[in-house]
Amino acid sequence: MRFERITDAIGNTPLVRIDPSVHGLRTIDLYAKLEMLNPFGSVKDRAAWNMARQGLATAADEGRTVVELSSGNTAKALAVLAGMHGVPFKTVTNRMRIPEVKDLLLLLGAEVEELPGQTECLDPTNTDDPLTQFHQALSEPDGAYLYTDQYYNDRNTQAHVEGTGPEIVKDLDGRAPDWFIACVGTAGSSTGVARVLREHDPRVGVVGLVSHKADFVPGIRTIDEVQEVGLFDPGTYDTLASVTVDEALDGMLTLARRCGILAGPTSGAAYFGAVRYLRELDAAPAPGPEPDRPAERRTAVFIVCDRIESYLGYVRQRRPELLGRPPQPNSPATLTDAEVRAAPDIDVEGAERWIERERPLVVDLRSPFAYAALHIAGSVNIVDELFGELVRGGLPFSKSRPVLLACPVGEQSARYAALLTRMGHPDVRSLRGGIIAWRDAGAPLVRE
Amino acid sequence: MDVPLYLEPRLESRLVSLLRARTFLHTLAGGLGSPLNVLLPDRIAENLAAFRAVYRRHHLSGGIHFAHKANRSSALVRRLAATDAGMDVASLGELQHALGSGFAPDRILATGPKNTAFLWLAARSGATVHVDGPGELDELATLVRDHHLPRVRVLLRLSGFRAPGVRLLTRQSRFGTAEGDLDGLLKSVERHGDAVELTGVGYHLDTTSPAEKAVALEGCVKALDTCRARGLTPRAVDIGGGFGTDYLADGAQWQRYTTELTNAALGTRPPMTWRRHTYGLRNENGTLRGALALYPAHRPAAGAQYLDELLSLPAPSLGRPLATLLLENLYELHTEPGRALVDQCGVTLARVLEVRRTEATEGEPAARGRTAPDHLLVRLDANADDIGLEEHGVLVDPVLVPRTARPVPDGGPVAVYLAGNLCLEADMITRRAVHLPAAPHPGDLLAFANTAGYCMDFSADEAQRQPVARKVAVWQEGAADGPGQEDAPWRWCLDEQYWPHLSRRTKGTA
Ligand SMILES: Cc1ncc(COP(=O)(O)O)c(C=O)c1O
Repeated sequence: MRFERITDAIGNTPLVRIDPSVHGLRTIDLYAKLEMLNPFGSVKDRAAWNMARQGLATAADEGRTVVELSSGNTAKALAVLAGMHGVPFKTVTNRMRIPEVKDLLLLLGAEVEELPGQTECLDPTNTDDPLTQFHQALSEPDGAYLYTDQYYNDRNTQAHVEGTGPEIVKDLDGRAPDWFIACVGTAGSSTGVARVLREHDPRVGVVGLVSHKADFVPGIRTIDEVQEVGLFDPGTYDTLASVTVDEALDGMLTLARRCGILAGPTSGAAYFGAVRYLRELDAAPAPGPEPDRPAERRTAVFIVCDRIESYLGYVRQRRPELLGRPPQPNSPATLTDAEVRAAPDIDVEGAERWIERERPLVVDLRSPFAYAALHIAGSVNIVDELFGELVRGGLPFSKSRPVLLACPVGEQSARYAALLTRMGHPDVRSLRGGIIAWRDAGAPLVRE
Repeated sequence: MDVPLYLEPRLESRLVSLLRARTFLHTLAGGLGSPLNVLLPDRIAENLAAFRAVYRRHHLSGGIHFAHKANRSSALVRRLAATDAGMDVASLGELQHALGSGFAPDRILATGPKNTAFLWLAARSGATVHVDGPGELDELATLVRDHHLPRVRVLLRLSGFRAPGVRLLTRQSRFGTAEGDLDGLLKSVERHGDAVELTGVGYHLDTTSPAEKAVALEGCVKALDTCRARGLTPRAVDIGGGFGTDYLADGAQWQRYTTELTNAALGTRPPMTWRRHTYGLRNENGTLRGALALYPAHRPAAGAQYLDELLSLPAPSLGRPLATLLLENLYELHTEPGRALVDQCGVTLARVLEVRRTEATEGEPAARGRTAPDHLLVRLDANADDIGLEEHGVLVDPVLVPRTARPVPDGGPVAVYLAGNLCLEADMITRRAVHLPAAPHPGDLLAFANTAGYCMDFSADEAQRQPVARKVAVWQEGAADGPGQEDAPWRWCLDEQYWPHLSRRTKGTA
């Protein structure tokens, strides 16, 4: 495989069979269309390139900016494509809840704007929501924008009519699968692929998956939100079903751990939704013999939309146990309440005299910002997170030097004083009541 | 109609017990008329305690100032006077009310647009003034000098905060001074040093989004650092109100309801509203446009819990949890909860005057062959100004309090439109069909739960010489969580007669 340009690597993704021992279906072969292997990482590479390529050729000369409402993958692809053409890219969204994706977009040079939240006090005279205003601003004639408009743009669907759909048919030796299962975001991939497959065989069953209403699965919409999508036509789908976050993550784990497909939660949702739907059909009696179809085995295809890497924070929030690590030695988490209660401490007045007399090392555990504003003269600043890492490896100071630990109210410093005592430091104390008590007692604080 | 589209109110123990006291409620409404606002002052002290617990968990000190604008009740304000709460007043009348209810001036914060009389009384009494901008600061300083008043403590209201990296857009606000204009504002503060003392900065953003508030809160901490660098000694960040209330008992009902509203707007199900009102949604060639103009009535994290979650968020550029950021910079936290503090604090009662059948064509034209099923029109002795649920976009069902004990008829649930007592087509208490387990009868009461936040008296007036609802305060004797307390007898007095010594005991003072 040799390409002139990275954009030539868009499309022609593999169709991989899922091992029947994983999904447990007896009469149905399940295939994954690995859109995650597109060069920028997702199914959206196709749509982005198809929507932008014409305009991009001249956009730099015309001083245009590419604009899209995207929370992730379309923005990622457009940011790369725009950048390659020397054109600025901006995305506006209120759905971007994956911090890694935001950072990646900034890294790629995108400008990211998030729409404001709902108002807390309803203003009945205000009928225009921020999104409507945004659309109006973009559709002004002679604007400086190249608005790709993925939720309404037929070139989004067309990318899949010309690419994804025919590739599936080709890899199934010229036949359409019996079922096609896809998550619905812009509806572009499901609509485009369904159209091609039905042209081949009108009996194809099409399943659209949306997110459970109370949940957030990145990249897909809820049953209400799909109604806001111009490309969405309920007639495209034989069935619309919803998937919860938990189900999506279960599917994602199965794909990653058992199939070696390192895909994100949307793909997990597609896999979970596919197996849940097919399981019932698998149990049903096979269809009667038909001349042009083998009666015994049937096939289904689902779309694997993107890669797993960006979703670690998402998983940490929803299933922290999946990222669980064994407790660290020398971690404050291993302290008992009794140890913390017994932590050596000293009140403000005592501390002032101690500092005067024995010059203990004063360690301020607050953030550099707070430390810079006001601190005990001569203290050093080691922010608590960093301090925690330091002591994990052993005592960070000599036992010959007394240590005074200070934090805002004396709670955290007490934990670390207990920990350092347990680790063998003979004279470490926590400032009782913390820097707040110090200030309230009128003891001096300096700003440098 | 297959499944009734209920939106059952979230009722916690005190309200459950009150709504079960059928005879008590009918006696009250019989004597004092319909509509009638019933307030539970002890509950506001409990809500305050929940906010205070969040402060304690994060080791923060500072004032929890009830935003008086949420309710005019004296009972609520006087009950709070017996706690450690502060009071956020937004008018001369509210300031007078707070002072007269037992709030010492050092517990009072004057916010919002202010006229000269309001500013004068705030300065004279020694309340803290949340200053909107340089103009107000000049006016205040002039008043102080001209009238030889004591130095006034001020907070500066800021707005227009900028986030690092990803730009968070905020709705434009009429209030506050842009963060970028802080320098000019501080010059005014310094110039007026003889008349005002800067004690902090703050914001109030009209948004449900914690992310926007995180940007603003961090912006305030940075602004305070700028103040310190100039030798000023402020010590508080005021994060305003907007902590929200969860009105509904069942999130699934809300989700089903809003899906059906969407379908109705698209015309794929029969209308659910009077004259096909769609609450801001539009159908454009089969695609849904617009935005649902409703309060998010189901809110898993509201009130004190919302505050807790906000304080646990990392500061957008400094990275520490916001509570830690405040704490380690030695700042106090002020809050101004309105709606959240009066959660579960009140009920509006309205008497049923008439129940009549509407024909499907009366309310809505039968478009595209889809006719709405018949509905009952229930006329209440109250108007839409008395029960501002609709005005504030809060969708929640009323609770039927029958006049006489009677078995629930087998007829099954009914859909009703609730109309008011004004001779005005627009006087609908709800523009949606409300599902009730059974049809009400004339003489019954409908109880609208949880109306104390803005929905009770925010817009009530005397149109058509209809009386505005009276207010009564109610309480139960004995410890709130004592055994069998739910059915302890209820006591009451007129709102203006209430003083905290009356409800001798409920839970410990907050
Ligand atoms: C300055 C200020 N503080 C507090 C509030 C109270 O907000 P909420 O009732 O949402 O808590 C408001 C409401 O508009 C306000 O303008």
